[in-house]
Amino acid sequence: MLRTRRSLRHRATPALLLAPGLLLFLVVIVFSALRTFWISLHAWDGFGPMTWVGLSNYAELWGDPQFWVSLRNNVIWLAVFLLAPPMGLAIALLVNQKIRTMRLAKSLFFMPLVLSTVTVGVIFVWFYDPSYGLLALLFHAFGASPPAVLSSDTWVTFAVVFAALWPQVAFCMILFLAGLNTLDEEIIGAGRVDNARGWQMLRHIVLPQLRQVAFIALAISMIGALRSFDIIAVMTSGGPFGSSTNLAYQMYQESLFSYRFGYGAALATVLFAIMMVFIVWYLLRLLRDERSA
Amino acid sequence: MSDVKLTSVQKYYAAFHALRDIDLTIQPGEFVVMVGPSGCGKSTLLKSIAGLSDITSGRIEIAGRDVTRTDPGERGIAMVFQSYALYPHMSVAQNMGFGLKIMKRPRAEIDAAVRAAAEILRITDVLDKKPGQLSGGQRQRVAIGRAITRRPDVFLFDEPLSNLDAALRTQMRVELATLHKRLGATMIYVTHDQVEAMTMADRIVVLRAGRIEQVGAPLELYRNPVNHFVASFLGAPRMNFFEGRLRDLSAGATLEVPGLPEVTIPALAADHGLRPGNRVTLGLRPEHMRIDGRGVTTPATLRLAEELGRESVLYADAGALRTTGSDTGTESVTLLLGAGTPPPEGSTLQIGFDPADAYLFAEDGRTVTAPKSAP
Repeated sequence: MLRTRRSLRHRATPALLLAPGLLLFLVVIVFSALRTFWISLHAWDGFGPMTWVGLSNYAELWGDPQFWVSLRNNVIWLAVFLLAPPMGLAIALLVNQKIRTMRLAKSLFFMPLVLSTVTVGVIFVWFYDPSYGLLALLFHAFGASPPAVLSSDTWVTFAVVFAALWPQVAFCMILFLAGLNTLDEEIIGAGRVDNARGWQMLRHIVLPQLRQVAFIALAISMIGALRSFDIIAVMTSGGPFGSSTNLAYQMYQESLFSYRFGYGAALATVLFAIMMVFIVWYLLRLLRDERSA
Repeated sequence: MSDVKLTSVQKYYAAFHALRDIDLTIQPGEFVVMVGPSGCGKSTLLKSIAGLSDITSGRIEIAGRDVTRTDPGERGIAMVFQSYALYPHMSVAQNMGFGLKIMKRPRAEIDAAVRAAAEILRITDVLDKKPGQLSGGQRQRVAIGRAITRRPDVFLFDEPLSNLDAALRTQMRVELATLHKRLGATMIYVTHDQVEAMTMADRIVVLRAGRIEQVGAPLELYRNPVNHFVASFLGAPRMNFFEGRLRDLSAGATLEVPGLPEVTIPALAADHGLRPGNRVTLGLRPEHMRIDGRGVTTPATLRLAEELGRESVLYADAGALRTTGSDTGTESVTLLLGAGTPPPEGSTLQIGFDPADAYLFAEDGRTVTAPKSAP
């Protein structure tokens, strides 16, 4: 009797402690995801009755050129955001040097992180402005005429991603700086005694100790690239003619401006499926590391 | 085998004077142990020799070569760290061969060196494991193995045994001493443990507050400490210190110590510089204390007896005779007696000593008794 009660309490405590988080997760994530998938099987304007249409929203997606543009843009976001961890690492290694002025440099590199995405977007809109922007000044300095990058359907996505990359690199830099601070001083010393210098020190001794941090930086950058939305809204509203729209932004437009909640939900489901790939990869790695530790 | 020569080494951390004018010559093949309380600068000095810490001024030579500004990897040294500092992502074999790999030595040579070191240290069966899978003692061996494979001129050890349990520490102490005989290499070893210092060293360097207090063979330091600090640092249980005043210098030194009859120390150093009336400290090793009623005696109550089988440590309260700076933190007198059953606790003893065994320290800490010869 006593034993069973104790073992019950043994199991009840963790269950109770996990309950609030689990409940929130079930309602906000799991239920919403299932509900979204359910909506995606209907035609719905958000107010009236829902009409069952089966997979026809998905069939429409397949034939929608805007969907393919959005998907391509998401791939561009992903590819460019892959640069954030190595760039963040490079800057972290630079500002981690024990040089007097590096504190100032560190705070400057840190700045985009404290700016809201809207601010970053507005700053870059000015930066790209072909008549009075900084980019225009740079082009004039070399005697060239500046391109209107935000009006060019070839360059617009790259221009937006580049703006979004700025805070992302800063974020990765912070992660790597924190990682560099936890490096074992004696292991570095051992490396110096073994005559590892420069690149060899970095490759054989520093980087292996930063693997965990690099993994987190990469995973967060990937997920950040996929769910990007706000900076597109601020800089281009998806334009010109939808050429900088990505899946998240297209979903927002279809649902809230075209009143096509079913179609928007189908977009959301596709985006969710893509994200799942990265999330599952992330979780599997996490689990494996935990098991081996 | 190489010598190490330090000349006027100074080191400041901002305003903190970490190393003060260190002059030290270490002979080829010598095993030198640097001891001192924490913060005395012994680790800083070792890191300076390694090149991991820059010195402010002075000169460091290894094997006759000025290495004061040379990178650690090119000084011909290897170092064993307190935390072992193994590369966590490399196997044991990779850890041990890393230095040679950086030197771009051929694969076969690296493998042979790793295998040879592993055999000496009996870790051939863990060569493929990662450091995380090893016990503390094994990690320690790998760290030593990593040092051996590089065939350094000088081995540096930074408190290498402090993370091991007592049994393993004794074992590794013996193994290190054996290794030193086998390799014949110059070794510099830092510890705060005086037992390690006494047992392993050819010569001990005692440091305090960034300064060398005394350098010498372990027994020489034990027998003839130059000052109060060295006398108190070496020896466990610690020397008993009693404060007193000098009465007369006509024949030896006659002093009065509260709680003792008049004591006359027979032999003083030639340059003692004492005057009657000076405050002095009387020092007595616990093993020189006796309870047979001979010599200078005083009654005392036995507070506690620690029976260790081969010997007993007695703590006695002797009324007005109070020790200062004892390692028990009390004013009791410590006695170390040979085999035999000690008297029961609470009994009254006549504790005493032969004045010829006593040490006398001037107010500035200098030893003023004449050097004692080996018994």
